[in-house]
Amino acid sequence: MYANPVAYVFSCIFVLLAHSAMLANAFFYGNYSDIKDLIILGGAVVALDIVYFIAILFFKQISYAVDFLLILILNMSVIFQSCFGGVHLDIKHYVTCIAALVSCKAGFLICRNYKKLQDKKYIFYIGICILMVMIVLFAGERSMWIKIGSFSVQPSEFIKPLFVLACATSVMDQQKKHKILFVNVVYENIALFAMTAVICLFQWWCRDLGSLPTFVGIYCCGFLLRICYPKAKFSRKKLIFACIILLIFCAVAYKFAPEYVQQRLHVDIWNDKNGDGYQQSRALIGIANGGWFGVGPGKGYLHNIPAYESDIVFSTICEEWGLLYGLMMVCVILIMVAVPLINPPRSYYHATMSTGVCAAFVVQMALNIFGSCNLIPFTGVTIPFVSAGGSSMVVSGFMIGMLIACQSPVFRESASNKKQKEVPAWRWSE
Amino acid sequence: MKSIRRCQHIISLIIVLFIIGMAVLVLKIQREASFYMMNSDHHELGYVYDRNGDVLFDGTGENQYPENYFIDVGNLIGDDKGQMTNTLVSKNIEKLNNYSFTGGLISNGGHASIFTTIDHEANRAVYNAYGAQKGCVTAYNYLTGEILVSTSLPSIDVTKGYDAIETFESGTLISKTLYGTVPGSTQKVSTVISALEIMGQERLFSKAFNCEGQYFNRSGLNIDCHNRYGHGLQNIQQAVENSCNPFFAQLIEDDDMPLNRVIDAYRKLGYAVNEEEVSYFEIDGIECERASTTLTDSYDFSTQWGCIGQGETLVSPVQLMMWQSAIATGTGRMTMPHLIDHCVDVNGNVKDSAKIEYSEQLFSVETANTMKQILLTNGANHYTYSISGYNVGVKSGTAQVDDGANENSLLVGFVDDQNFPIAFCILIEKKNNSFITTEQITQILLDNLRKDFTM
Repeated sequence: MYANPVAYVFSCIFVLLAHSAMLANAFFYGNYSDIKDLIILGGAVVALDIVYFIAILFFKQISYAVDFLLILILNMSVIFQSCFGGVHLDIKHYVTCIAALVSCKAGFLICRNYKKLQDKKYIFYIGICILMVMIVLFAGERSMWIKIGSFSVQPSEFIKPLFVLACATSVMDQQKKHKILFVNVVYENIALFAMTAVICLFQWWCRDLGSLPTFVGIYCCGFLLRICYPKAKFSRKKLIFACIILLIFCAVAYKFAPEYVQQRLHVDIWNDKNGDGYQQSRALIGIANGGWFGVGPGKGYLHNIPAYESDIVFSTICEEWGLLYGLMMVCVILIMVAVPLINPPRSYYHATMSTGVCAAFVVQMALNIFGSCNLIPFTGVTIPFVSAGGSSMVVSGFMIGMLIACQSPVFRESASNKKQKEVPAWRWSE
Repeated sequence: MKSIRRCQHIISLIIVLFIIGMAVLVLKIQREASFYMMNSDHHELGYVYDRNGDVLFDGTGENQYPENYFIDVGNLIGDDKGQMTNTLVSKNIEKLNNYSFTGGLISNGGHASIFTTIDHEANRAVYNAYGAQKGCVTAYNYLTGEILVSTSLPSIDVTKGYDAIETFESGTLISKTLYGTVPGSTQKVSTVISALEIMGQERLFSKAFNCEGQYFNRSGLNIDCHNRYGHGLQNIQQAVENSCNPFFAQLIEDDDMPLNRVIDAYRKLGYAVNEEEVSYFEIDGIECERASTTLTDSYDFSTQWGCIGQGETLVSPVQLMMWQSAIATGTGRMTMPHLIDHCVDVNGNVKDSAKIEYSEQLFSVETANTMKQILLTNGANHYTYSISGYNVGVKSGTAQVDDGANENSLLVGFVDDQNFPIAFCILIEKKNNSFITTEQITQILLDNLRKDFTM
C-alpha cells in the first residue's frame, strides 16, 4: 500500500491536471471535426490514469515516483499520437501503452530480487542467443522484423533489457580473477565482451546500425562500473585504456560502415531535401513552423511525412504542440531516469542496472532527437514511450520496471543459495 | 555506498551530456528557424525599398504598380520565384520573411523589409537613357560604399512573371554589373598601377616608347594601335590619354617590368591570375565575379594583349568601379560597396545596418595619387565638354567581343569632389550600333545623382 496518502493524492491530481491541460489545448486549438473524438480521447486518457492509480496500490514499493512519471508520459504520448493530423483516439497506440504498463509491473516483479537474478544469470545469455536465432530464422532476409499476421515484432528490442541485466548481474564477479599467462582475467568480462561483440556483429548483419550505439552505451556503462568495482575510485589507467579502445572501435566502425551509412554521415539535407535529406529537412521546417507554442494539435503538416509518428516524432510534436511541449516531454523522461539520483538504489547491482537503463533511454532519445534535427546522422531509433511501436513500448515499459525495482528491491536469498554457503552461487561457476 | 555514488555520477554525466546536446539543439533551432522556414513552401515576404522609400520589390503581391515599374532593377533586386538565383532578394530572402520563432509566420502586419542604397529615380533615368541599347551601369559613393545606381539591360519586370521565358534575350536574368566582361583599355589602369608599384613614378615617367601604328613584339607578333598612323614617342601620361596599345606592349616587355612582379601586383588588385576556376566575392550575399587574366610570358602576345585589356582578361564592371574608389580616395584601399543600408525585422526593429568597410591595401598611396592625377588629366584634356560640370578622372575602353565581330564601349572613372564622391563604370554593348555614348550616360548619371548630395 502507498505509505504517504497525501503525496499519493497530490501526485494523482498533478498527473490528471497535466493531461487535462493537454486535452484543453486540443479542445481550444485542435483540429477535430466532431467533439466526440475529443471526448473519447479524454475519457480513455482519464480512465487509464485512474485505473493505474488504483493498480499501483496493489504493489508494495518504497517509492512510486517513477510510476506517476510513467503514466504521465504514457498518456501524454497517447494524446500526442492521437492528435497527429486530426484528433481521434489512436487505439493501437493506446493498447501498446497499456501493454507497456503491464510490462513495467512485470519488470518490477522479475527484477526486484537481485539474488534470484544472480542465480539464473545464464538465462539472459541464453535469451539473447534465442532472440538472435529467432531473427535469423523468422525475419526476412537480413531484417530485424518478424511478421505475425498484421503485426510486426522487433525481437532485437527485447535484447536490450536482457543485455542490461547481463551487464548488471556479473558486476560482483570482478573479484574472482584468474591468471592466464601473465594476465589476470575475469571470465565474466570475457563472456560479456564476447556477447557484446556478437550483438554488434548481428546488428551489423541485420543492417540495424541505429541500435548499435544503444548497446555500446549500455556496455560502456557496465564495463566502466565492473572494471572499477573492487576499488572505491575510478581507475584512471583503465579509463584511459577503455577510451582508447572505444575510439578505435568508432574509427573501425566508420571505416567499414556500409555505403548507405556513409551517405547519411555526409548528406547535406538542404541540398538534397527531396532525397536523402527529405525527412530531416521537413522535420526542421516543422519545428520552425511550430515555434514555441505550435500550430495547434492536428494542424501540422508533418503527419504527411513517412515515420512521422516514430523516427521524427519529436519534430511532429514540436510542430503541432510547440517546442515547449517537446522539451517538457523530454524533461519527463529525463526525470524518470534521474530518479536514482534522488532516491539512490539499494545495492550496487541495482545501481548498475539503473545506469544501464539510463544509458539505453538517453542514447535512444539522443539518436532520435539529434538525428531527426540533423545534429548527428539520422537513424530509425525510437523515443521511449513517445514513438509509436509495440516492441519498443513493451521493452521500454519493462526497463522502467527494472528502474522501479532498483527503488524497491527485495533481498531474499533462494533456498538453494542458503544451502551452499561456502561457495556463493551468484558467482560464475567454474 | 561509494560504489553506488559512482553509478550516480555516471547517470549524472549521461544526463548532463544529453542536456548540453538539447541546449545546443534549441540554440541552433532558434538561430536557424528563419532559414528552415525559407525552405518551406509557405512564405510571407515583406518589401524592398530604395533609399527614398520607393518600393523595389513587393513580397506581398497585393499592390498594383505601373507597367515596367521595376524593370530597371529587375535582375538586381530579383524576386522569390527561383528563376534568378544571384539577386538581392534570393540571397537575402530570410531577412524579408515575416517570421519569428515566437510569433510564427505573420501574414498581415509583419514589418520585415530591406532598405537599399539604390536611388530608383536615378537608376530609372539611366536605364531609360539606353533606349534600345544593351549594357550596364554601376555607380557608388566611394566614401561610404553605398551603391546608388546599378542597372543592366536587357532586364525584366518581375511582376510579369516568367511565362514568356523562351523569348527573353540573352542576359535578361543576370545583372551584367556583377559578371566578368572584356575590359578593353580600361584594363590599362591596372597595368599602370602595376608599373607604378614596380618601378615607381619617376622611373615610369622617364620611360618613353614609340608608336608607329603597330608594333611587332619580341615574339614577332603584331599589336595594332587604334591610330594606324601612330602616336609617335610618348610617355605614360600620353599613352594613357591616347590609349596606345604598342606603348603598353613595350612596357610589358621592358626589363624593369619582370613578369613575376606584374603578376604579384595584379594579384594584389584582386585578379585571379592563371587560375582555371572562376572565383567570387560578395556584396550583401550577391556573388560578384573576381577579375581574371592569364599572364605567362612577358614576350607572349596573349600576355601583352591581356594587360592591354583583350585576350583572356575579364573584369566585372563593379570591380572596375571599386578600383576607382582606391584611386579617388588616394589611399590605395577600395571602399567596399553595399546594397543594403539596413533591414527591419518582423517586429519593426532595425538591424543589420551597413558599415563602411575598406579593402586591404591594394597599392601604395603614392601610386594612388599618381594614378589619380593621370586620370584627372585625361578627364580634363578629353572629357571636359562631353561630361560637363564635373571634375572627373576617367579612362575609356573599347573591348572586342564575339571574336572581334562586335565592340563594347566602356568608361570608368570618378568625380573628384568630396561633396559628390561618385565612382562609376559604364558599359555599352555593340557600340557601333549605338546612338548614345558612355559620356552621355555618365552625364545623365551624374546629373540625376546630384540631388542626393544637395538635399
